[in-house]
Amino acid sequence: MTYKQATYDEPLIFELGKPGRRGHLPPKTDVPPREITIPSNMKRKEPPQLPEIHEGEVVRHYLHLSQMNYCVDTGIYPLGSCTMKYNPKINEALARNEKLCYIHPYQPEETVQGILELIYNLQKILSELAGLPYCTLQPAAGAAGEYLGLNLIRAYHHDRGDYDRIDIITPDSSHGTNPASTVMNGFNIIEIESNKDGQVDLEALKAVVSEKTAGFMITNPNTLGIFESQIEEISKIIHDAGGLLYYDGANFNAIVGMIRPGEMGFDVLHFNLHKTFSTPHGGGGPGSGAVCCSERLSPYLPVPIVEFDKANNRYFLNYDIPKTVGKIHGYYGNIAIALRGYAYICALGADGLIETSRQAVLNANYVMRKLEEIDGLVLKYNRELPRKHECVLDATPLKHEIGVGAMDIAKMLISRGYHAPTVLFPLIVHEALMIEPTENENKESLDRYIQVFKEEIAKAKENPQYAHDAPYNTAVGRVDDAWATRNLILSWKMIKELEKKGQWPPQWPEDH
Amino acid sequence: MSNFSHPYIANSEQDKKEMLAELGLNSIDELYSDIPDSIRFKGKLELPHFQSEFEVKEHIEKLLSKNVSTRECRSFLGGGLLDVYIPAAQDELLRRTEFYSAYTPYQPETSQGTLHTLFEYQSMICELLAMDTANCSMYDWATALGEAALMTARINKKGNKFLYTAATAPNRKEVLKNYVSGAKLEIIEIPYDKETGKMDKEKAIELMGEGVVGIYFENPNYFGVIEDEIEEVIKVAKEKKIVVVAGVDTSSLGIMEAPGNYGADIAIGDAQSIGAGPLNYGGPLAGVFAMKFDKKWTRQMPGRIVGITLTPKKGKWAFTNTLQTREQHIKRFRATSNICTNEALMAMSTAFHLALLGPQGLKETGESMYYNAHYLKEELEKIGVKTVFNSEFFNTFLVDLKIPKDKKEEFTKFMLERKIFAGIPFSLDGETYDYLITTSYLLKKKDLDDYVKAIEEWRNE
Repeated sequence: MTYKQATYDEPLIFELGKPGRRGHLPPKTDVPPREITIPSNMKRKEPPQLPEIHEGEVVRHYLHLSQMNYCVDTGIYPLGSCTMKYNPKINEALARNEKLCYIHPYQPEETVQGILELIYNLQKILSELAGLPYCTLQPAAGAAGEYLGLNLIRAYHHDRGDYDRIDIITPDSSHGTNPASTVMNGFNIIEIESNKDGQVDLEALKAVVSEKTAGFMITNPNTLGIFESQIEEISKIIHDAGGLLYYDGANFNAIVGMIRPGEMGFDVLHFNLHKTFSTPHGGGGPGSGAVCCSERLSPYLPVPIVEFDKANNRYFLNYDIPKTVGKIHGYYGNIAIALRGYAYICALGADGLIETSRQAVLNANYVMRKLEEIDGLVLKYNRELPRKHECVLDATPLKHEIGVGAMDIAKMLISRGYHAPTVLFPLIVHEALMIEPTENENKESLDRYIQVFKEEIAKAKENPQYAHDAPYNTAVGRVDDAWATRNLILSWKMIKELEKKGQWPPQWPEDH
Repeated sequence: MSNFSHPYIANSEQDKKEMLAELGLNSIDELYSDIPDSIRFKGKLELPHFQSEFEVKEHIEKLLSKNVSTRECRSFLGGGLLDVYIPAAQDELLRRTEFYSAYTPYQPETSQGTLHTLFEYQSMICELLAMDTANCSMYDWATALGEAALMTARINKKGNKFLYTAATAPNRKEVLKNYVSGAKLEIIEIPYDKETGKMDKEKAIELMGEGVVGIYFENPNYFGVIEDEIEEVIKVAKEKKIVVVAGVDTSSLGIMEAPGNYGADIAIGDAQSIGAGPLNYGGPLAGVFAMKFDKKWTRQMPGRIVGITLTPKKGKWAFTNTLQTREQHIKRFRATSNICTNEALMAMSTAFHLALLGPQGLKETGESMYYNAHYLKEELEKIGVKTVFNSEFFNTFLVDLKIPKDKKEEFTKFMLERKIFAGIPFSLDGETYDYLITTSYLLKKKDLDDYVKAIEEWRNE
């Protein structure tokens, strides 16, 4: 297959248009105009310099840009830990229902019974999958879920008068958000090294638990795709020390319906509805990071929680949670995203969700076994262990041999019209290629991906410069990230200022 | 589970068999063989299941049909959100799978569409707010406030106090409290003047003592009042190197001054009000976060930022995520924020909306809202209903209704019967409710007249 991404010399939208052109006529009130008496210091003097373009040109501009984008519907998108599965089209259609789009969060409860029922149902469903009885949809993303989970853990300890528990422990393979959320929450982070099997080292764990232990954060399977089979021992060590267990649900697509975090000993978790439950990633968001927790953490949940009043047969927003940690979002979370996740679950049911996980795991292992045959790539950590929904190959041997590393491989793959794996993460694998095909790829698709992987590495071995110069066929060649950081040109306004100084467009260095 | 086939799963039973055979396995179960039996779930999951897409659609549409939308009932609700119209062209662009089904642009060469659009979003936000740089979005206004408070503490490392005005929206105060709880940042409320509803400036200046890292006010504030007497406060803040954070109603910026022009260092808000998307029962939204450029301070900004860079082809510049070394996936516990997934698509949607609306459209929508609100205020005054604060306002004001607690539900119903969402109840005395009324540009004169008529009827009953 030959591939060539669409390429336009598309200007910035500010360079398009002319004064007086209109892209849209907004509705106008029929109330007579009057003098605007906003005090002069707060009255707009210079109108914002927004573009003035007619509708057709706006659409054309952004259509061109859209064509310079790779997406799940273009081809395989095996970004590890991101679970780039197909976004069912019916969910997009349902999310455009006027009775979802045009409802305000402060409307009277009797006018939002439908959405409250849907939220209530989804809370129940997620609790069922978590094996933890309480749920809130308020966090807007996974990291917000982690932050909230840590709030709950702290509130629990403090409520018991246990103010000295300030340590959160996490393995060095954890997602970057885990330590970041921990520190943002005021806890002290302790990172422990993984053992030779890529799992939590129980001795290292025992060595750091203490009366200061507040909790432990982990994703299971972990970011190497390896299941932490000693999770019960880990749970016992943490609980015996008086700490609680947090489950990072980013990797939940491996075990849906088969293993429940509650039964593994976890006290609280977040789900990424934009990973496991198919809601679109939107080029970076919005997501939805629902949190489920056990009975003992439930008194601290954020307000409001959607509940059902049986006696009056109505759903309501319960703000009466005396020990609540407060709010983590201005309203109730990303409800239009939650609706998409709900639709996905309804379409698959329990059997479908389980099958989804099994196929995702089969696909990951299939790709892994084929790719580890490539000379220069190795499966670090115990290669006998099956992986789950993702696997991490290490290109360090190739790097040593010919100087071609994971990033070069990524760029060669995107040259061919296939998305790259997540690269250089987890940090414990130096030249990491983290691959998560998801259940959305069939055998032919995986075989093609493997074939392209092999072909590109063969080309690199013949000519390493080919790898360093990749990508080809994409809208632009390899961008210079270091230049961007050194020069920091972050808006049209900054460009205009450079222009005034005669420093725009940028000059290419002689040796570039 | 034999012969299981579903549209969301790629492989057939035959494919599975072939793949297992190549792996030398008999069953997928073997890939789970390392999982202890004791933690496996053996019960039956209680989950809904519908046989076809058609039935899923019927089920969800039936649920949603129980809602009453702002297209059926005239809405006077605001509180940081606005009932907006999303042009068909904007929705068409939002439906581009190339945009919505892509990930964060970690591979910039194949994601120029996302990056270019986000750069335009950042740029438009800067034009609106008179700022130099903006990030690609926070979750919403409330979390943007939390992040802004934390950022001021990173800039002013020596202090531990953050001031905010009492006329901040209650939901945003709640999130702020939560966000600073881990940072050992003390938040101190500046009271508002009971007559004007504006920030008590003497008190604010008095509070700007030792250890204050930042000061936050909203403009217009939660009561809809325009904060037009803050010059002195900002001057003192600048002298003391206290970071000034302004929270603004983005929909006001066609007719109201940009915060960057009256001294704000950081400006936040929600792009929903300028058309990022419809109300969506409060999410997804798009938290705006912008600031004046400063080599040191900008590095303290949370979230993703798109910048310009060079490509190998001379003259061809492009876009990439920049300053990534502040972010959690690289810096882990030293990151400026834990944020990873943001509201990127809503930010792109904002760019589509603003490109269509243009400066004229922005001004017109602002004027419509202003005319509506001022007309409504005068008409209410004609029937003897006053506003609580006698100050200049944009599209929101607090109307002095004093509905007793035990009558609140009845009042809501009474207004609903007249197809009106009456506003946001707000109690100043703890006993009775006044109502915060916001007029969007979708309301017409008749809607406003009906509101006045309804209030008149209520008072005569």
